[in-house]
Amino acid sequence: MKQIDILIIDDEVKFADMLSRRLSLRGITCRACYDGLSGIQWIKENPGAAVLILLDLKLPDLYGTQVLAHIKEIDPAVPVFIITGHGTREDEKACLDLGAVEFIHKPVSIEKITTLLTHARGEVQ
Amino acid sequence: MIRTPQILHKQEWLAFLFHRHNVHLASFHTFSNYCRIWIISIAILAVTSLSPLVMATFINHRLIQQAVDAELVLQTERVTSNAKRSMRFFLEERLNALRFIVNELPYYALIDNEHLEEILGNLKLGFGGFTDLSIIDADGSQVAYAGPFNLEGKNYKTQPWFTRSIESDNFISEVFTGYRDVPHIIIAVRSINALGRLFILRATLDTQRLMDTLLSYKTNVHTDIFLMNHTGQLQTPSNTHGKIFTPTRLDIPKFSTTTNVIMPESERDHAFIIGYSYIITEAVTTPFILMVYKKKSGVMGTWLNLGRTFNWIIYISCLVMMIIITLVSTFMVNKLYLADKTKAETMMKMEQNQQLACIGQLSAGIAHEINNPLALINETAGYLKDLYHFADEHQNDQEIMEHLDDILEAVARCGTITSQLLGFVRQFDVQTSAVNVEKLITGILRFHKKETEYKGIHVTTDIAPDTPAIETDRGKLQQILLNLINNAFQAIEANGCLDITVSHLAPDQITIEIKDTGCGIPEENLKRIHEPFFSTKKEKMGTGLGLSITYGLVKKLQGNIRVESSEGVGTIFTVTLPVKMKKEDTA
Repeated sequence: MKQIDILIIDDEVKFADMLSRRLSLRGITCRACYDGLSGIQWIKENPGAAVLILLDLKLPDLYGTQVLAHIKEIDPAVPVFIITGHGTREDEKACLDLGAVEFIHKPVSIEKITTLLTHARGEVQ
Repeated sequence: MIRTPQILHKQEWLAFLFHRHNVHLASFHTFSNYCRIWIISIAILAVTSLSPLVMATFINHRLIQQAVDAELVLQTERVTSNAKRSMRFFLEERLNALRFIVNELPYYALIDNEHLEEILGNLKLGFGGFTDLSIIDADGSQVAYAGPFNLEGKNYKTQPWFTRSIESDNFISEVFTGYRDVPHIIIAVRSINALGRLFILRATLDTQRLMDTLLSYKTNVHTDIFLMNHTGQLQTPSNTHGKIFTPTRLDIPKFSTTTNVIMPESERDHAFIIGYSYIITEAVTTPFILMVYKKKSGVMGTWLNLGRTFNWIIYISCLVMMIIITLVSTFMVNKLYLADKTKAETMMKMEQNQQLACIGQLSAGIAHEINNPLALINETAGYLKDLYHFADEHQNDQEIMEHLDDILEAVARCGTITSQLLGFVRQFDVQTSAVNVEKLITGILRFHKKETEYKGIHVTTDIAPDTPAIETDRGKLQQILLNLINNAFQAIEANGCLDITVSHLAPDQITIEIKDTGCGIPEENLKRIHEPFFSTKKEKMGTGLGLSITYGLVKKLQGNIRVESSEGVGTIFTVTLPVKMKKEDTA
């Protein structure tokens, strides 16, 4: 089981790639999954391996809230941040109820993500 | 909702007359010209209600008039016919008496003056009205005479009456004065003596008897009975046409053997009804026309007075009805106007709200769709920057770095807009708690402390001591005040003033007034400031969403927002909020 910093679950391949590359440049290890099921699969295989998870809402197979519920089942402790371009207030409420830490609208700055990671690490330690 | 002066104005009586055309409201009004509706309604009501009355009155008036005329005609006809019969009898009786005398007595007995005197005496006794008697031979010389005047031996050959009486068996003259200067009538009968010569028995009749007979038919002062000859000269005195022998200018009525009644059409004689009859005896046609003049108003005065009273009643009731009609029409049209106005205002508000909702939905859709590509641009540009940054290759290429920063800045700005757009549609649940308005305002002003000092802005807060803590959504109220205070700070130039007043005038609401001495809002923009994307701020300064979000939030908190502004002087935003929000909306 390999330890990583951030798991990105987003169907926007280019976005996820760019983000992970940028984070890598900053010495942050990332793993990108392009649909809900593969994300859940990865977490199942590597429980507790990610420091935090960035989750999109609109995914080709499952809806973000469903993925979130699965993640919380497997690993309730991991902080999940919703990063989405869509998202209604119902979504926001549902996500927060399911245990997401924050509901963030795209676009999001790289600094914000690194800050989130710093916080998450601090909490974990 | 607070009662603004505008709402009070609506209650005014006759408000529709002072209706001012409002371009924004006009399209929502069902009717536009209330004065016209008012006039039409008065006209229709007046015509439908008054015309039957007026028509009935008119018909009634005509009927009365006709009845009165018919009655008058009948009366006049009766009087005329009776008078005529008397006149005819008067003349015929005397003519027959003369005829009897010439047929009964021999010529020599007649030319005896003494005998003639005796006959005259008997005639006066038997008939009356005789003044004198004379026998005139065919040459016109008087053969015998009995009477008060000494006319013996006179020759009448040149007298017109003589020539006419010698030509026919019987003769009746007009009234004339003759030698004696006293009005009299001559009647004469012609006969033949034993020698076969023509002679005339002539009698002079006293006109007084004739006039007395006539006057006995004059039943009242409104009736005038007189005789005239065939040329229109009066033969007896008349009340209406003057003394005896006066030539009248009357139209000579058409010859007729019967009694007739005419109603003159001419203006002058319109007030009269005229009965006439030619007096014709069995033996001879007399030169007299009997005229009866009846004054309509005099005879039928009672009826006409009644009609006049009736007319007055009609006039007054018409006037009263017109007043009632006008009042009712005014009241109804005013009600209609007020209802229409309220409807138009509500519709305008609804449309504004709908517009807001529509724009909100549309912008949310756009924001959603743009966010993803925006995120990609952001990451790609960021990655490029990172590449340069971490690869050391172009690390010092200032130009590339600047351009990349521009892109990232632009993306960040777009991000702000889209998140504000989403915030505009998103309606969070309202979570009420007791909020201390004073603390909230103080907190917000603390944010601006630096700016206040830097620009030299004079800030005063005046919070009424009895202001209660209000039950509302803290977050939303904070955002409302933040937006308004931010706006004020942006408008205020150096050394301006910002006054925040909180008052608790009505028991169930508080009023927050934010007054700045900024640049003000031009009148044409005042109506649009709550529209999304409406902004007059220079590039990069505003998104045009701030006030429309504020407006939505105030509504959400069951409050009201009002703005007054004058350009160059400043702007006052007044937010009215309920002390305690109603339950159904908080759910």
